[in-house]
Amino acid sequence: MATDAQPAIAIRGVTKRFLSTLALDSVDLTIGRGEIHALVGENGAGKSTLIKILAGIYPPDAGEIVLDGRSLNPHLEPVPIAFVHQDLGLVDELSIGENVALVAGFPRRGGLISWKDVWEQTKRIYAGMAIDPPDPRAPVGSLSAAGKAILGVVRALSRDARIVVLDEPTASLPGPDALHLFEVLRRLRASGTSILYVSHRLNELFGLVDRVTVLRDGRNVSSGSIDGLTTETIVRDMLGRDLQVHHVTAATGREATPLLTVENLCAGNQGPLSFTVGKHEIVGLVGLRGAGHEIVGRAIFGANSHSAGTIRLAADVIPADLPISARIGKGIALLAGNRLVESTLGGMSVRENLFPNVHAVSGALLRPIDTGAELRAVRDELERFDVRPRSAAALIDWLSGGNQQKIFVGRWLATGAKLFIMEEPTAGVDIGAKGIIHRTLRKIADDGAAVLVISSDFEEVATLCDRALVMGRGKITSELTGSTLTLEGLLTRSSMAGGQSERVH
Amino acid sequence: MTETTFQHSTASPPRQAAPSGALSNLVATYGLLFVFALVMLVFGVLRPSSFFSAININTILVSQSVTAMLALAEMVPLATKQFDLSIGYHLGMAQVLAVGLQVNQGLGWPEAAALILLLSVIVGLSNGLLVSVFRIDSFIATMGTGTLLFGVTNFYSNGEQISGLNLSVSFTNLTQIVHGIPLPAVYVAIISLVLWIVTEYLPIGRNLYVIGANVRAAELTGINVRRHIIGAFIVSGLLSGFAGIVLGSILQTGTPSVGPEYLLPAFAATLLGATSIKLGRVNVIGTLLSVLLLAFSFSGVQQLGAPFYIQYFFNGGILIVAVGLSVYATRRRQRAATTTRSQKT
Repeated sequence: MATDAQPAIAIRGVTKRFLSTLALDSVDLTIGRGEIHALVGENGAGKSTLIKILAGIYPPDAGEIVLDGRSLNPHLEPVPIAFVHQDLGLVDELSIGENVALVAGFPRRGGLISWKDVWEQTKRIYAGMAIDPPDPRAPVGSLSAAGKAILGVVRALSRDARIVVLDEPTASLPGPDALHLFEVLRRLRASGTSILYVSHRLNELFGLVDRVTVLRDGRNVSSGSIDGLTTETIVRDMLGRDLQVHHVTAATGREATPLLTVENLCAGNQGPLSFTVGKHEIVGLVGLRGAGHEIVGRAIFGANSHSAGTIRLAADVIPADLPISARIGKGIALLAGNRLVESTLGGMSVRENLFPNVHAVSGALLRPIDTGAELRAVRDELERFDVRPRSAAALIDWLSGGNQQKIFVGRWLATGAKLFIMEEPTAGVDIGAKGIIHRTLRKIADDGAAVLVISSDFEEVATLCDRALVMGRGKITSELTGSTLTLEGLLTRSSMAGGQSERVH
Repeated sequence: MTETTFQHSTASPPRQAAPSGALSNLVATYGLLFVFALVMLVFGVLRPSSFFSAININTILVSQSVTAMLALAEMVPLATKQFDLSIGYHLGMAQVLAVGLQVNQGLGWPEAAALILLLSVIVGLSNGLLVSVFRIDSFIATMGTGTLLFGVTNFYSNGEQISGLNLSVSFTNLTQIVHGIPLPAVYVAIISLVLWIVTEYLPIGRNLYVIGANVRAAELTGINVRRHIIGAFIVSGLLSGFAGIVLGSILQTGTPSVGPEYLLPAFAATLLGATSIKLGRVNVIGTLLSVLLLAFSFSGVQQLGAPFYIQYFFNGGILIVAVGLSVYATRRRQRAATTTRSQKT
C-alpha cells in the first residue's frame, strides 16, 4: 500500500545518546502515505526514545527527520504529527465534545464559547474520518474502551495531522474493542493517514499493518513488509539470534501439595481462571503490560473484589469479603506493583517503612513497640538486602528505587507470610538489587513459601520462575515449564495470546 | 532508553543525599528551639522586668493551656492528613455548656463534664463517619459540623452570655494555681505525655502516621484506615470538649462568641510544630513548642506596645509561614531524593 514515491515521513540515521548509553544508533524508518507501520522491540530497545524524538521532547544527536520532503527538527518547531499514548489523556468527567475541544479548540462566537458549535465540531471531525460520531454531549465515561481509544485517535488527528503515532493503543482493550479500533485505523489509512503503530501484541499486527520495523538495542534490525513474516520471525529479530537463556532451575524435591488453589476466579475483566501454586514453588502469572492480569493477585489478597470463584489457602477457603488484615493474618502478602503510589510512605523512615503495621505482626494496637528488638530487626534486614545507606532513621525518599524495593520486600518477609504475591518485583530496579530480590524469593520458596510473581518482565519470569502461566485477554492461554520456559517461549506465547485462546502445553 | 530507564539507578552509587540531608535535618529539627530561645532572649533583654515575671509567665501558661489542648486535638486527625476545623466551635460549645449546665440546669460540675464529654464523643464520631464512610472532604465536613455546633451553642444560650456568679468553688478551682503551677498547664502536660507515648511508641500511633503518609499503602499493609480515622476524630473531639470545660472554669462565664478564634492559633501551632522535631509530620513536642513560641512572641510584642489587633496579623502570618516552611521542607527533600535517584552510569 505504501507505493507513493514520496514517503509521509522519513527518519534517517537518527542517533541519541544518554551519557554512556547509546539509546538509538542510526535508526532509519520510513512510513508511506496511507500506511500502517508497526514499531516493535523489547522494553528498552529504543521505541520510546524514538517516539520522544518525533514528539520533540529530545533533540536527536544526529540524523534527520523528513516530512513531505522537508527536513525539520521537532525539538524546535511544531510538526504535524499526532500522538496517542496508552492512557489517552481523556478527562472522564467532561463530555466527548469538550474532550475533542480541549485539543481542537473551543469554537467561539463573540468571544464566548458557542456550545452548539462545540457539539457540531465533534460530529464534523468524526464524520470527516468516516467514523460514526457518538453523542458529543455524553460524558466520556459512558464510552466503551474502544470508543475511548477511538476518541483519543480522532481528537489527536483533529489538528490537521496526517501522521499519527499510537503507543500501545490496545494494551488495555478487550478483544472485540481492539477489533473495533482496528476497523477505524483501516478507514483512516484508506483516507491517506499514515500510522506508526507501537505494540507488544505481535499477533494483532497481521492483517492490520503493512510494514514492520524491529528495534533491538537502539538499532533497527529489520524493516520491511509484513508479508512472509510470522510471530516467531519477529520475536527472533527482537531478541537476536544468539540468544542464550540462563534458566536457574529450582531446588528439586518439591512438594506437590498446592498451598494456593484458585478455582474459576473472575475479577475485573479477567477470568474465569483456575490454577495452583505449590509450596516451594515460584509461579509466574505473565501478560503484556496493561493487560490487567494484576487484578488476579489483588483479588487473592483482598485489595480488589472478585465476582466469582473460590480461593483456598491450603485447605482454608478464603471468603470473598475477608478484609486485608485478616488475610495478612492468614499468611498472604502482596507486594504492590506501583511502588510510589502503593508502597512508599514518603517522609517516613526506613524503619517505619519496614514495619508500617506492627499490629499485623504482634497483634496488639496498644502494646508499646519494642524499640530495641525492632531496631535489631531493621539492622538485620538492611544487612540481608545490602541496603544503602545502612540507616534505620534515613527517610525512604533518600533511597534509590532498588533500595526502596528491597525495603518493601522486607516489609512482607517480616510478616512471616506463607504466600507471597509479588507484582513486578524488580520493575525500575537496578541489576544489583534485582539479583538480591530474586535470590531472596528463591530462598523463601526453598524454605516452604509459595510465590506468585505477577509480571510483564519476561526475562525475569524466565530466569526466576519454576512455572509460568501466560495470560491473554483475561484467560490463561498456555503454561510453560522446564525447558519450554524461556524468554523466547514467553514472548511468542504472550504475543499470540491476544487472539483466540489456544492451549499449548 | 525507555521511560523505565529514568527510574533506574545503577548498581550502587554511594548515596550523597543522606549526609547533607542529615545535616539539614539537624538544623531543621531544632530550628524551632533556636527561634524560641532567640525570642526569649530578645524580649528578656528589651523588657527584663515584665517579660520574665511570674505573673506574665503564669498568665501565658493559663491562657495558652487551652490553645495547647486544642492544638493537640488538631494534631491527632492531622497525623492522618485530615483536618478538623470544628475544634474552635466545639470548644465554644463545651465552654458554654460547662457553665450553663451548672447555672441553668443545676447540675454538679462532674455531671456537666460527663455530659459534655459524651457529646464530644458523638461529635467526633460524626466527623469521623462523614470523612471516612461518606467520604466527604474533611475540610468541608468539619467546617459544616463546626458551624452546626456554633448553632447549638447559640440555640442553648440564646446568644447571650451566661453569668457564672454562683459556680461552685470546686469547679473554679480546677484551674487555680497550686504551688506556683497553674493546673491547666498540668493537664496539658499529662495529655501531652499520653499523646507522646501513643504517637511515638504504640503501633496505633505509627498507623496514624502511615495513613497520613500514604492511605493506599496503609490499606495494603492491612491497617483499618476507616477505624483509625474515626478514632482520631473522636480523640480530637474529646480534647476539644475537655479544653472547653477548662476554659469555662477559667472564664467563669459562658460566652457564646468565644471559641472560633482559638482555631487559627491552634492550627498554626500544630502546623508550625510539623516543621520541627519530627520533620514534616505533626508531633507533640513540636506542637507544644510552637504554642509557647507563638504565645511568648505575642506577649513580647504586646509589651513593646503593639496594639491589640496585631494578634490577627500574627496568627494569619504564622499560619502562612508555617505551611510555607513545611511545603518548602517537603519539596527540598523530594528534590534531593529525585536528583540522587536519577543519577545514571
